[in-house]
Amino acid sequence: MASREIIRYDNSPLLRLAKILTPIFLAVYLVWTLLPLFIMVMASMKDLLDAFDTPDAGDWGGVAMFFDFTPTLKHYYVLFAENNFGVYLFNSLVASLGSALVAVTLGSMAAYSLARMEFRGKKDLLFWIISTRMAPMVAVTVPLYAIFRSLDLVGTLPGLILAFTTFNLPFAIWILKGFFENVPYAIEEAAQVDGCTRFQAFLTIVPLVAPGVGAFLVLCILFAWNDFLFATIIGSGGAKTLPAATKELVQPQNIDWGKIMAAGVITTAPMIPLGLLVRKYLVAGLTMGAVRE
Amino acid sequence: MSGENVSKRHPIFTADAWGFRASEQMPETINRSPSKLFYVYLMAPAIALLAAITIYPFLWLIYMSLHKVKLGPVDDKWVGLKNYAKLLSDAKYFEGWVLLGKYSSMCLTFEIIIGVTLAVILNNSRFEKPLVTLFLMPMMVSPVVAGLLWFYLYNGTFGWYHWLFESLGLLGGASILGRPETALYGIVIVDVWQWTPLITLITLAGLKRVPQDQLEASMVDGSSPIRNFFSVSLPNIFPFLLIAILLRFMDNFRFIDAILALTGGGPADSTKLLPVYLFDVSFKFFKLGRGGAIAFSLLVVTIILGLILVRIFEDPARKQAMSAQD
Repeated sequence: MASREIIRYDNSPLLRLAKILTPIFLAVYLVWTLLPLFIMVMASMKDLLDAFDTPDAGDWGGVAMFFDFTPTLKHYYVLFAENNFGVYLFNSLVASLGSALVAVTLGSMAAYSLARMEFRGKKDLLFWIISTRMAPMVAVTVPLYAIFRSLDLVGTLPGLILAFTTFNLPFAIWILKGFFENVPYAIEEAAQVDGCTRFQAFLTIVPLVAPGVGAFLVLCILFAWNDFLFATIIGSGGAKTLPAATKELVQPQNIDWGKIMAAGVITTAPMIPLGLLVRKYLVAGLTMGAVRE
Repeated sequence: MSGENVSKRHPIFTADAWGFRASEQMPETINRSPSKLFYVYLMAPAIALLAAITIYPFLWLIYMSLHKVKLGPVDDKWVGLKNYAKLLSDAKYFEGWVLLGKYSSMCLTFEIIIGVTLAVILNNSRFEKPLVTLFLMPMMVSPVVAGLLWFYLYNGTFGWYHWLFESLGLLGGASILGRPETALYGIVIVDVWQWTPLITLITLAGLKRVPQDQLEASMVDGSSPIRNFFSVSLPNIFPFLLIAILLRFMDNFRFIDAILALTGGGPADSTKLLPVYLFDVSFKFFKLGRGGAIAFSLLVVTIILGLILVRIFEDPARKQAMSAQD
């Protein structure tokens, strides 16, 4: 990294142009990224229909209208008081945390074994595991719904946890396998030499992998929390989660935008800090461990 | 060194105890040790659960695709490959593939151009860390919420982005999602908004591993920064981009949440990508047999893409290049 400073280019006109354009590009991109989120938060605090009006086309000064409203938390209040969002929030929490815990507990056990044991057909087993994670959600939903209906799991939290586990468990196994592979076997071996049993030896490396396992637990929560398709089809009825409930607020007529945006904020708000918390593991998590930072 | 000699030594004096071995990853002692069963026990619960929730549904899917599935107490009727044969004469099915390809390639083109540009700029920026943190926020948004948010922004009466398009003289006053000619662009924009940061993050990880000596050598030879990028950096980040492309491509097969919130496949089926069509066939028209056949074909293509991805994952040369620390 230090050697980067050595590289200096002459001030060619092209480079000077790039120097001017770079901040502009960054500024435009920043606005493009954050503006929709900003509008969502603002709209969630608008009540009267007038507040949602947009100016006439081409009336650039009319942008001021966007800020012309009395902020209110009415929509948030109504969502919890009348639309059962407390229940949906609870469902979201239980379903995502439940599936993340199942996935990471079972997943880390399996991942550890797969990292340490060599056997014939291991590659095929691994490919099967990752392929279950890659399957298109809609394609999986149809048979899963049919099976869960016959087991009376549709519309229940255990059913939803199980459904989320179909994508979280293969994710956890695959990513944690790579993680355990980076822990030298010598540590466990030394522990065994010191008289630990095989299981105690496994426990000696737990503190080493704990931060990573924790981060991937958070990612599993994020994936499950943000899911819509399973939540709306497997969870329909008794186990509706926040994304499914938010979508249901959309009516064919007289859409209450303020309310929908408030529901969007409720769904999104907890996930942004969680995502930033595991920032270091985000790239590994989102690329199934193929790319590490 | 005789065998006798070794056995007398305290274990701490052996090379193994200090972790000096040719292959750290896969010590040969494991294969000989009786504790193999230990690993099998650890692995069993996860594999059993995964099999129950994936293989069983997969068999169900094949069963459904070979039957005329009747809802209610009537028995399903065996129809053989009829569901598949019908797909061959289903224009919407082929249109679904075409739209899926069009959508994916449009998303990827924009995401790669913007994402790589951004990564190159950020890599040379003092503000890399705070900016990346801000940029990656859209990725945390639930795709269905992202869809609903943009559905509002595009709204013909209240949407601020609609107003912006109108003010700029684009679209001639029609809502972007309201016309078959533009609706596809509408959903592409949302995907680009949400997932460009992923490409940026992956590219940044790649740029950090471009060997400095190569860059310096190229500079000493007098090449311009632009030439430098195309002949040194780009070949080095290519494997990273390849993975990014495949992952995004597969995600476009996987997730239709945003599209369901934005258009639901309309207007005039102009955004009815294959997974969206599958959703309609299964959950709107309840033709589970035909849905099974579509799902099966979609799965086969995904598995082929997955095989390619894993091939790249496990390519030793790539692995070495991508995990090398500077």
